[in-house]
Amino acid sequence: MHLSRFAHDLSRATVGPATRALMGRVLDFMATGTEDEAAFDALALALFAHQLAHNAAFQRFCQQRGKSLRTVRSWRDVPAVPINVFKALSLHSEPPLGPEAGHRVFMTSGTTGAVRGSHHHPSLAVYDASMVQGFERFFMQGRERLPMAILFPTEQALPHSSLAHYLALALREFGGAGSAYFVNAQGLDVSGVCAFLQHAQAQGEPVAVLGASYSFVHLMDALAAQGRSFALPPGSRLLDTGGFKGQSREREPQAFYDDLRATFGIALRDCINMYGMTELSTQMYDAGNTTQPACKRGPHWLRTRVVDPLSGADMPAGEPGVLVHCDLANVNAACTILTEDLGVQVPGGFALLGRVQGSQAKGCSLALDDFLQAARA
Amino acid sequence: MSSVPRGVPLEQASAHDTHIEAGYVPSGFAGELAWQVRELGGLQVALPAPTPAQLQALAQHVRSQADTARLSLAQTIAQIDQVVHRLLDAHNPQRQALNHWLARSTGLDAELLRLGLNRYLQCFRAPQLQRFVVEDLGNPALLDGFEPRAKGGLSLAQGPGLLMHVWAGNVPGLPLWSLVAGLLVKAGNLAKLPSAEPLVASLFARLLAQASPQLAQALAVVWWPGGDVAREEAALTQADVVLAYGGPSSLHALRALTPLTTRFLAFGHKLSFGMVDAAALDQRRVHEVARAAALDVVRFEQQGCYSPQLFYVASGGACSPLDFAHHLQQQLRALSVQYPRRALYVAERQALAQWRAAQEGAALAGAPVQILGDVQDPFCVVYAQGPEPLQPSALNRTVRVVAVPTLGDALATLQPHRHLLQTVGVAAAPQALWRLSQALARCGVTRICAIGSMTLPEAGWHHDGRFNLADLVQMVDIELSAEHAADSLAPYHINPA
Repeated sequence: MHLSRFAHDLSRATVGPATRALMGRVLDFMATGTEDEAAFDALALALFAHQLAHNAAFQRFCQQRGKSLRTVRSWRDVPAVPINVFKALSLHSEPPLGPEAGHRVFMTSGTTGAVRGSHHHPSLAVYDASMVQGFERFFMQGRERLPMAILFPTEQALPHSSLAHYLALALREFGGAGSAYFVNAQGLDVSGVCAFLQHAQAQGEPVAVLGASYSFVHLMDALAAQGRSFALPPGSRLLDTGGFKGQSREREPQAFYDDLRATFGIALRDCINMYGMTELSTQMYDAGNTTQPACKRGPHWLRTRVVDPLSGADMPAGEPGVLVHCDLANVNAACTILTEDLGVQVPGGFALLGRVQGSQAKGCSLALDDFLQAARA
Repeated sequence: MSSVPRGVPLEQASAHDTHIEAGYVPSGFAGELAWQVRELGGLQVALPAPTPAQLQALAQHVRSQADTARLSLAQTIAQIDQVVHRLLDAHNPQRQALNHWLARSTGLDAELLRLGLNRYLQCFRAPQLQRFVVEDLGNPALLDGFEPRAKGGLSLAQGPGLLMHVWAGNVPGLPLWSLVAGLLVKAGNLAKLPSAEPLVASLFARLLAQASPQLAQALAVVWWPGGDVAREEAALTQADVVLAYGGPSSLHALRALTPLTTRFLAFGHKLSFGMVDAAALDQRRVHEVARAAALDVVRFEQQGCYSPQLFYVASGGACSPLDFAHHLQQQLRALSVQYPRRALYVAERQALAQWRAAQEGAALAGAPVQILGDVQDPFCVVYAQGPEPLQPSALNRTVRVVAVPTLGDALATLQPHRHLLQTVGVAAAPQALWRLSQALARCGVTRICAIGSMTLPEAGWHHDGRFNLADLVQMVDIELSAEHAADSLAPYHINPA
């Protein structure tokens, strides 16, 4: 991959000198491929210092948490910004400019009535470099290009969707001849996807199908209604992401991947789930879904901790907690994010856990979730 | 036939036992049914889990027994009273074991549980039950037979042949309200236990079977996983009246399975709050009110529908609403030593953290919101300058104090949520109390009490504004014309020719 291209993108970006220098350091760090903790630490602390100095909202957050340059000594000390705080605040180190200056804003998909968070990118050079290198390593796995069927709207249709940008980048950088989008204003183009898959099957050439997890559910429902299934050529793979978000039936992961295998004739190890979020600039992947829960990991510029949600302290190994990601590619907003995802450390990475059920207190007092549900109804 | 080892029967078990048999089915059924073992805080609990066909057989049995084995109301009350006194007896080994298991399975503070359960059980003693009946029906004898009416004719209160109870949650003992109501109206009772707290209702049923085998023939207390459509349909289609507790989605699903003509009484999750007027905010009184408020927050860890989630506090008193918030925080801190908060599971800690982060985000974004105290505290008071849209707390000792110019200013924010409101604890002078109560009634509130009593409803309260017994029965009238017509057919009748 031509990493120099991203350095070139950066050279043309409308950003201040401090941000430019730091983005340059991050690009260099990505290129080194080092797992060295000291180097990661140094860059994380440089990002923290930069964000503390230039990012007014982050500064207020750190003040409230009693975090300063003096108390933050390693990447583990950098205060993690909870998703709910990220949503409420406008976190940026660079003054926000419009798209004409090459700035981009990705927004979280919000449920009705909820505040949508926004992630401001003064330049996508680092985001794109992170995406391309992660995708190449964890999804392409040595292949240069694959014909791609994208089950998601285009970047033009959804300019504030980080996933739309991600998929557009995947298609541009790694898509082979015949790659196409199969979601348009009318919805999912089932016959178009069928023709794409039929063609691949006839040619014996591997392909990739990428999209939101719920798009796969809709597609499989439509195919099942027609009684159709495929046996895609070896080397083909699927990428799903984002879960179901109330857009389709909720599925248990095991059942979902079994259905994918049955419908597309693709081995479970080639059904890859990407785990990302608008608040980050780097994605994580599993190495297929042969077993559940699948182990996820990211590239060396992202580190994940499993913490107690209230205290933020590391959980003992093997105990579930909430995931915190320190993503060095998050130069502008905040490099460390406290997610709402439950997970557990496993050898080689972490595993996402579904909702923990059964053990919590359950009374007849109205809970927050029910209240929001009732308010929406 | 099931080969699952069922363990020691609950009514004979002691705190040392690890495998117990709970639930209750009339004699003759226990051996026939499928049993399922559930783990509950280290305790293995075997519960009768009948198949759909077995449920139908049970329902038929219970219905027919209710018809033939009728006790008088006085006898029924005496039997319940006897069981309640056994449960209230601190020396009773079953009660001691129950205390132990409840503390383990719910994680609630053992002392708080023991006291809470005692106060609760006292509601079901004979005098309270008699009052309970009079409260709803006026004349208790209506449940035993036809009673003359002043206008002429007679009336009878006929309970349902089969009353189906669906219980939910883990507030200990909550099912007793509906179970006792079912017994008083002489229904055949088929009940589904809550997964999280099956013990209190099971023990009550088993002790009742010892006290009155006859009464207990018309009772079955079983379990199946919620959402099991085949079982739920089998039970619901048999019932004359359904009494269901639960969250919106489970109530919705149950209602959909219930025949249109069956009376479906739903008790959904509710939101309760406190209101503190300026009159209560002088240096002496603020301390007492804050103490009482903290107790209502701590009891049952805000899991009850009557537990306060927020307090509206009026401005203009000697102490400000922010002072009240600080007092409340101090009282919660003191109570956290006396009654420590139970250990929270990671999902619950996450819910608290998310709620806190949302407050933090709002505060950082400039909203008039203040989080008092530290993230490590086992409670959290958030102070907000209102009026603001109604917001529940995250439970488990999290509470919002909303400052309002006057308590009347909070009312407009309540209107849109009228179907969710239940109890309001009020600290105000008499005239303000009457005025406020009228307005709260229009907002959908159904219970007004003192702060400190919110979690201790009186026996015979109108749960969610409904009648406990009157809603279950069907009034049957013999009109005067029937009497006259019968008179004309009597052998001793002399035809006025």
